[in-house]
Amino acid sequence: MKNVYIGEILKNEEIAQDCFLMRVALHVSFPDPAAGQFVMVRVSGIAEPLLARPFSVYSFERQNNSCALDILYRVLGRGTQVMAGLLNGTQVEILGPLGQGFEIKQNKKNIILVGGGMGVAPLTYLALHLNNYMCSSFSTMYFYLGAQNDEALIGVDELKKLSCTAITCTDDGSRGEKGLVTQILLKDLKKFSPEETMIYACGPKPMLKALAKILRKTKYSCQVSLEEKMACGVGACLGCAVPVKSRNSKPAYKRVCADGPVFDINEIVWK
Amino acid sequence: MAETEQINMSVKIGRLKLKNPVMTASGTFGYGEEYADYVDLNKLGAVVVKGLSLKPRAGNPPPRVMETPGGMLNAVGLQNVGVEAFISEKLPFLRKYDTKVIVNIYGENYDEYKKVTRKLSAAKGVHAVEVNISCPNVKKGGLSFGADPKTAATVTRKVKEVTDLPVIVKLTPNVTDIAAIAVAVEKAGADAISLINTITGMSVDIFTGRPHLKNITGGLSGPAIKPVALRMVWQVLQNVSIPVIGIGGIMNAEDALEFLIIGAKAVQIGTANFINPQATMEVIGGIKRYMEMTGIKNISKIIGTFKA
Ligand SMILES: Cc1cc2nc3c(=O)[nH]c(=O)nc-3n(C[C@H](O)[C@H](O)[C@H](O)COP(=O)(O)OP(=O)(O)OC[C@H]3O[C@@H](n4cnc5c(N)ncnc54)[C@H](O)[C@@H]3O)c2cc1C
Ligand SMILES: Cc1cc2nc3c(=O)[nH]c(=O)nc-3n(C[C@H](O)[C@H](O)[C@H](O)COP(=O)(O)O)c2cc1C
Ligand code: FES
Repeated sequence: MKNVYIGEILKNEEIAQDCFLMRVALHVSFPDPAAGQFVMVRVSGIAEPLLARPFSVYSFERQNNSCALDILYRVLGRGTQVMAGLLNGTQVEILGPLGQGFEIKQNKKNIILVGGGMGVAPLTYLALHLNNYMCSSFSTMYFYLGAQNDEALIGVDELKKLSCTAITCTDDGSRGEKGLVTQILLKDLKKFSPEETMIYACGPKPMLKALAKILRKTKYSCQVSLEEKMACGVGACLGCAVPVKSRNSKPAYKRVCADGPVFDINEIVWK
Repeated sequence: MAETEQINMSVKIGRLKLKNPVMTASGTFGYGEEYADYVDLNKLGAVVVKGLSLKPRAGNPPPRVMETPGGMLNAVGLQNVGVEAFISEKLPFLRKYDTKVIVNIYGENYDEYKKVTRKLSAAKGVHAVEVNISCPNVKKGGLSFGADPKTAATVTRKVKEVTDLPVIVKLTPNVTDIAAIAVAVEKAGADAISLINTITGMSVDIFTGRPHLKNITGGLSGPAIKPVALRMVWQVLQNVSIPVIGIGGIMNAEDALEFLIIGAKAVQIGTANFINPQATMEVIGGIKRYMEMTGIKNISKIIGTFKA
């Protein structure tokens, strides 16, 4: 039987404006999350927020008799506001790891990660995973990371610890290249042969939509991690629907929580 | 330990015998398999599955859910795999468990209700049908079947005509006189009544000026609706003699006991599953502890003990 884990907050720091890094200690029996999986987080014993909120695994470390899970989050509404106010030692309920993570293909020589905003979280965990376990099977990894401005560009220091080429970009040019991350990627794309390249992306919907447009008539493989409002996180409520292509072009939906959050970019209807 | 053995939590909903009065609410527990890793389904009084229609339904575009104070709004739009896929793909899994399987159904017209019921009656492993009459009657311009005593009674009669399974009719709270609807479905032959379904509501994003749900309106569920649910169950109980199943905002054993005390024979747990996948187990455990604490050996000694 799976369980809801009771975690204890070890750290909950504001690392940039409205952006927090939370480290939660969990029982050793917590399963190793795959890259791209997420957890549902809820503060124990409070009535509001009622529903747990989904967050990607940013980092996960196993010690002898416990493990530590990191999540990187931006304060947006009620749920994340409450989380931001939590002190060390507070108990949080963690459900997970959940969902289908990124698929790793051994035959891809080039790995391109494309992240926008908090999309950096699952991609950093993926990059770490690729660094640790797959080092021989691919030769190059490029991490394109974008945000509105320097302030909002989170997680760059962590990327420096990985063996990958980081290309940062900001909309206003206050750090790295000036422009949208997808435009910067587009400029470089022809350097990579489509057959030998795997693109992994996570970020705001407009970014993913732009990426889908760029890749539409190409042969590049691309997996995207999506977000949608969730209630259960386990596939039961059908709340987290994402429109997918269907044979008869009638509307069809998949569940971000159970069928995703990672999907092939071509599977999604990008309206 | 010896004392615990003697505690009897079984209840009867007409002919339907349950090992305890706790079931899952339709649409909040998938087809059972989604929660089978978290809950020993054998321990449930019954599993009520997501509402089924004759043909598969895609459901509404997102966003479909939104948290509101003390609850949530949903506009899933009755997405389901369709009755045939349910029987071939989902039911075999549920048959492996020693629990009762109650299938929630809905239709756009009377004929659809009948056809779905017929198919389910022929399948092995279905113990009862729960008829959702909260959905729009397409012929009546979208007014729900459950909003009018006449249409509510007609659906009940049509379903009863084609099945020998116990028929539970699930009422919508979006009506002015819930007792009148309950009386009408009882007269039409319902074996039991369950209530409440979600209360229609909405919520607005003040920064975009748009509704939070793509569908604009959605169904409110969760702790916010419990007092309304309790009041409606009580009103229905005063007017019918068939068994009533209480639903709405039940988060723990105390909430469930309130419904049992006013006379509900059983309860369903909905939104609470999302907050705690083991909510049903905690409700069952809590009722048992309450019985031990108060020295009540048989749950029938709790049901209907309300002193108005
Ligand atoms: C699989 C998955 C992984 C995620 N990983 C992370 C992560 O690593 N870090 C992180 O900061 N966030 C992540 N999110 C998003 C996070 O769940 C939401 O930001 C959070 O639920 C907001 O809760 P709230 O109560 O603060 O805001 P709410 O009150 O629910 O919403 C506040 C505002 O944020 C918007 N919003 C809420 N949820 C989302 C969403 N999922 N996508 C886009 N806009 C939204 C609302 O429309 C509203 O305008 C992830 C979401 C999913 C589905
Ligand atoms: C996401 C969701 C989906 C639901 N789907 C159905 C359904 O298919 N058929 C039905 O009769 N009721 C459905 N309901 C209503 C519940 O079964 C229940 O009546 C209602 O949520 C009130 O109980 P609660 O407050 O415990 O959740 C749904 C509720 C939710 C939250
Ligand atoms: S959040 Fe419930 S099905 Fe995905």
